[in-house]
Amino acid sequence: MKKKLSILSLVLMLLLVSMPGLTMKVQAEETEQKEFRVGMEAGYAPFNWTQNTDENGAVPIQGDKSYAGGYDVEIAKIIAEKLGRELVIVKTEWDGLPPALQSGKIDAIIAGMSPTEERKKQIDFTDVYYESNLVMVIRADSDYADAKSLEDFSGAKVTAQLNTFHYTVINQIPGVQMQEAMDNFAAMRVALESGTIDGYVSERPEGVTAESVNPKLKMIEFSAADGFQTSPEDTAVAIGMRKGDPDVAAINEFLAGISKDERVKIMDEAIKNQPASDEDSGSPILKILKQNGMLFLRGTGMTMFLALAGTILGGIIGLLVGVYRTIPMSEKKGKRASQKLFGWLLNVYIEVFRGTPMIVQSAVIYYGTALLFGFDLNRTAAALFIVSINTGAYMSEIVRGGIFAVDKGQFEAAQALGMTHGQTMRKVVVPQVLRNILPATGNEFVINIKDTSVLSIISVTELFFQGKSAAGANYMFFQTYFIICVIYFVLTFSITRILRLVEKKLDGPEAYAPLAEEE
Amino acid sequence: MSEIIKVEHLKKSFGQNVVLKDIDLTVNKGEVVTIIGSSGSGKSTLLRCINLLEKPDDGKIYYKNENVLEPNYNLPKYRTHLGMVFQQFNLFNNMNVLENCMTGQVTVLKKSREEAKQTALENLKKVGMERFIDAKPSQLSGGQKQRVAIGRALSMNPDVMLFDEPTSALDPEMVGEVLKTMKNLAHTGLTMVIVTHEMAFARDVSDRVIFMDKGVIAEEGTAEDIFVNPKEKRTKEFLHRILNSDNN
Repeated sequence: MKKKLSILSLVLMLLLVSMPGLTMKVQAEETEQKEFRVGMEAGYAPFNWTQNTDENGAVPIQGDKSYAGGYDVEIAKIIAEKLGRELVIVKTEWDGLPPALQSGKIDAIIAGMSPTEERKKQIDFTDVYYESNLVMVIRADSDYADAKSLEDFSGAKVTAQLNTFHYTVINQIPGVQMQEAMDNFAAMRVALESGTIDGYVSERPEGVTAESVNPKLKMIEFSAADGFQTSPEDTAVAIGMRKGDPDVAAINEFLAGISKDERVKIMDEAIKNQPASDEDSGSPILKILKQNGMLFLRGTGMTMFLALAGTILGGIIGLLVGVYRTIPMSEKKGKRASQKLFGWLLNVYIEVFRGTPMIVQSAVIYYGTALLFGFDLNRTAAALFIVSINTGAYMSEIVRGGIFAVDKGQFEAAQALGMTHGQTMRKVVVPQVLRNILPATGNEFVINIKDTSVLSIISVTELFFQGKSAAGANYMFFQTYFIICVIYFVLTFSITRILRLVEKKLDGPEAYAPLAEEE
Repeated sequence: MSEIIKVEHLKKSFGQNVVLKDIDLTVNKGEVVTIIGSSGSGKSTLLRCINLLEKPDDGKIYYKNENVLEPNYNLPKYRTHLGMVFQQFNLFNNMNVLENCMTGQVTVLKKSREEAKQTALENLKKVGMERFIDAKPSQLSGGQKQRVAIGRALSMNPDVMLFDEPTSALDPEMVGEVLKTMKNLAHTGLTMVIVTHEMAFARDVSDRVIFMDKGVIAEEGTAEDIFVNPKEKRTKEFLHRILNSDNN
């Protein structure tokens, strides 16, 4: 049995290693010097967005077939060139940017980020590379369409993006009804259109974009005296760098070299080029599919790969763990102690992974390995690892149930024939367990298709992540997420049907039709 | 007559419950031994101790003069010399009839599939199940399953066959076919140890009958000794009880 176990684990290792691009690599100092890795959401037009081609000077996104464009990308290009390093754009969730920087996965954050005091505690900032002012985005047909000053918004329901200073200035509006902060602009625009809120606080470039993309929305600008009072460091955006990064001085010098006129020019270009401003008529769904069809297809492919590979690897892990736990305790003292210890470790593994959310595990494993061990885990590899190990924890319990469901007499009959524990398991028990656990395994697969969406937190380019970045660029949130929703449903529904067919096939048509005894 | 199995001072308890107190038993080659006694007397446990499905607490078990309870004794190999037939048949649900009879030969005895198939077919013929080689256990009746189980045990070419109440889980109309199969086997000179409640059958086939009561062998002798002239009071009481209930 021992030999069997090690052969199986070897196969498992080979599988992991042989998958293209999934090998882990230790971060080498030299590559760090050659590349200038910049993190951004690629979903915050006009600062940064995702597009399908390299037109208008867009730069390929690492590990994906899409490109990033926008004001931030243009600035990043200038800096990378002056530094003499190759620009690499790393698409990262907004909340994932600081940890990615700290763990060395990226070298700089150029993502329209303001250098707030709070952020400064964690990371360093360069000088300002863009300065904007705060605006209010409202419905064009609302009572607030003619507002001139903050006073005019008395009684209005206003919100802003979570973890931004936009939110903290809201209480400068007298008599305002401050709403819960929202995760992203997508959600706020939907809320605004549906009337849940009367307006949200934003910065001018975003406001201009919103207005031009969606004619139902209107941006209200304030004069300096009537508007929000902000500290310059809030309205300004700067480049985030790791604490003590020596490149900060050099970058400041480069930024100083870009004149104010040049900045305005780059921003105007960005606003003009952003994908959402395509003057395309026709059904929005078709438009989204036309623009993002390939993106969604790749996302679907990634989701299916992670769910399928994760379920298979997880199934193998579950089977190994489940079968290991049936091995009788050795008579020898030393061996028994190590058996007990290993069994205890397996229990810890199962309890920990079943007892914590996968989204948290993803963040801990992906950023933790980099912070603690200097290990730069390939994102897809990390995702596959997390899904497999998670599924494995659930599957080992399912397998335990599957073994439990096999009649005790089956074990005894095999023993009585002289089979060893390993032979009994392989020839008699495991084949029955596999059939027993098939429905539960199919269930795990379907759950995995849906749950891989939480991996967007480590910016794995699965379906939900692609949908999110498409929505961030085209501002049609409901329509985009609706398409994503339909794709998920089609996937899970067809998988469920296929599995049902497989089960029927396995049981055979004559399963309950006894043969007549010939006399 | 040569001894195949010899049990000395065998003791076994389950928790506080002492099931076997001090058992001595010898099984000789070619002998048919039946073990009778009321429920809970320890008959099945004795049988299960012989092939070590239950681990005895104390005592010795010899197979052809080798002590099988030695620490490094090759247990799986020992078990291949004993064919076991269970009350609940225990056919492998994931295999058809033929595979049930082949898997032990191929996996444990390392025979080629071809050779194993021949042996399996011969033994299935002996139990009258050769027409059902493709059937799954779920497609068979209880009696058919038990005949296949006997065929499976025979396919290992054992020295001794152990039967643990082979007809107790069967519908009454199926008991006959299994007993008939066993009777045929007994006439071929196979060594058999049978735990049973079928008194008429025991009387018919046994070279020796063992009556167990409360964890000890209360009386032992030929079929005539036990059934016609029992010496012990408890044997008489048991036979009286069971034969009367049979008549009802």
